Amino acid sequence: MLEIKNLHAGVAGKKILNGISLTVKPGELHAIMGRNGSGKSTLANVITGRDNYDVMEGTITYNGIDLLEMSTDDRALAGIFMSFQYPVVIPGVNNTYFIRAALNAKLKHKGLKEINAANFMRLIREKLKLVDMDEKYLSRAVNDGFSGGEKKRNEILQMLTLEPTLSILDETDSGLDIDALKIVAEGVNNFRNGERAFLAITHYPRLLEYMHPDYIHVLIDGEFVKSGDRSLAFELEEKGYSWLEK
Amino acid sequence: MTYLKEQFDALLEYWPDEDQALRSLRKDAFKHFNKLGFPNKKWEEWKFTNFSGIEKSEYRLSWADDLPQIPSQIPGQISDTHTIFIINGHYQSQLTDIPHGVTVPTGLDHFKSNPDFYALNGSKNPFFALNTSMMNSGVPVMVAPNTIVKKPIQVIYFMTDLSDPLMNHPRYIFEIGENSQVTIIEHYIGISGLPYFVNPVTQATLGQNASLNHIRIQEDDEAGNHTASTHYNLAFDSRLNATGISIGGQLVRHDIQLKFYGDGANATINGLSLTEHNQHHDQHVLVDHQNDACHSRQLFKYILADKSSGVFNGKVIVRKNTKQTDADQSNKNLLLSPTALMNANPQLEIYADDVKCSHGSTTGQIDPEAIFYLCSRGISKRKATELIISGFAKDILDTVNNENVNAYVSDKIENWLERVQSDD
Repeated sequence: MLEIKNLHAGVAGKKILNGISLTVKPGELHAIMGRNGSGKSTLANVITGRDNYDVMEGTITYNGIDLLEMSTDDRALAGIFMSFQYPVVIPGVNNTYFIRAALNAKLKHKGLKEINAANFMRLIREKLKLVDMDEKYLSRAVNDGFSGGEKKRNEILQMLTLEPTLSILDETDSGLDIDALKIVAEGVNNFRNGERAFLAITHYPRLLEYMHPDYIHVLIDGEFVKSGDRSLAFELEEKGYSWLEK
Repeated sequence: MTYLKEQFDALLEYWPDEDQALRSLRKDAFKHFNKLGFPNKKWEEWKFTNFSGIEKSEYRLSWADDLPQIPSQIPGQISDTHTIFIINGHYQSQLTDIPHGVTVPTGLDHFKSNPDFYALNGSKNPFFALNTSMMNSGVPVMVAPNTIVKKPIQVIYFMTDLSDPLMNHPRYIFEIGENSQVTIIEHYIGISGLPYFVNPVTQATLGQNASLNHIRIQEDDEAGNHTASTHYNLAFDSRLNATGISIGGQLVRHDIQLKFYGDGANATINGLSLTEHNQHHDQHVLVDHQNDACHSRQLFKYILADKSSGVFNGKVIVRKNTKQTDADQSNKNLLLSPTALMNANPQLEIYADDVKCSHGSTTGQIDPEAIFYLCSRGISKRKATELIISGFAKDILDTVNNENVNAYVSDKIENWLERVQSDD
């Protein structure tokens, strides 16, 4: 599904990723772990196509298509979603209106009929329950006046509504208390199936107690220094990252 | 400026039998205007706007034969309103619908019964003096006390089909009687191609416990120049909710003055200005708190595209020995192009202790993070930009608390956004 080969990339001329390769198949959850500054978010930003990120070498394909040639919105329409580490506040843009516009862009792309306001309300209220969010957040502007936890839930709410095939969870656990973390993790767990893949980026092994990755990759200085199964998370929790550093 | 002298003389000649008191007011005002002259860069309150274009042009007053064919459909007419229609400065009484409890006397009748109302009081605004010297259109709208006017009154001032560059000096008087409540839409529209000059003065007086919802829509032709003065006078416990939407005009200058004449009054003045190409919008707002327990809120937003420019100058004065003033002033500007320019200057002058005041101004560009966020959800860059800009304008639109007016204005903003984006 996602195929990253020998990726060298950076931001604003500064090289951060030094030759990363990764294969993600449908149904898999890969965790990418590492300290701040190791290149985790750069990887997420390169996959989603954020401005100012440059790929110097290597390729990324998604279902066989060259992702790097596509605009951010086209990547999203192709099924890629990112839960932001710091979700953006957009004053004056109603949250419900925004999510419906996103869903309709997707439906239109698939050649399907757009969803009307009434049906969308029914749908979003259902999804809202899954992340235990208050309905008042629907009528607010996007992320405006949301607490840190509410912002993260709003990200998961969008994921559940847009039903991407590849979800990148960029530090979705940071800034969450344990109850919120459980709700977010449960939202992701219930959303998992044989078709959908996940990249969970985190520097806290704690997340992986609630979300069960198939593979864990440790990123240090822009390189994967170790990959393994879930047991690697417990090892990291115990020993930290320093034993893996050169 | 010689054209103004010629036009002034022509006006006196055109109405030789005009009321003598009005005639002498006109002469005094024209003298006053000539003493002041056109503003220049040395005038502190006017320095960001260049009026030499108006000064050097040759505008003539609109006469009876400048009345074009009346359009079959009144432009800009908003549904479910009482309409007052003025075309090229000529009032169309047959197309006017005045609700019960409201009268529209002639300007002359209004002047005769309230001559003091027209005093210049040493005004330093040359356009106010110029208007007084050549007032030739506009209407007084008198709302009797204890009248609730359900539907909005929409006054449409339409400039079209010009044979020469014309000028007009409309005078609007909105007198809202005690305990009355009304929505007045003051609407300027121009479809001309030829340059013109509209110089309105609007004086709105709110009686005790009166309520005025004033919506000002300025959609002049891009070849039009619009210099306006709006004066609000608020008596005890009266309430003003004013929203200005300014889209048209080449050079636009609007001076808004608000005075509280009684305690406990409440005023909100909001404005949204959209500029493109090389349009220039300059707004100066002065709110004068000279009574107790009055409350004023100002929010002025500008969205500037291309090489357009904007000026916002807001001043709140809280006079000595007043109590419990609550004043807030905010100016926010969004630059859509690196060549757009904004000059903002919010000011507070506080001479009292018991006050709660705040002010602030921000100017920025569209947040690229916000664009990326929306695009990452599959929304196109164009649609994302549109969403963000309309989101920016939303809190001004929200204060237009009439559904039809709101729909009309939203539509205009949407069209503007589409136009600006496709020009890129």
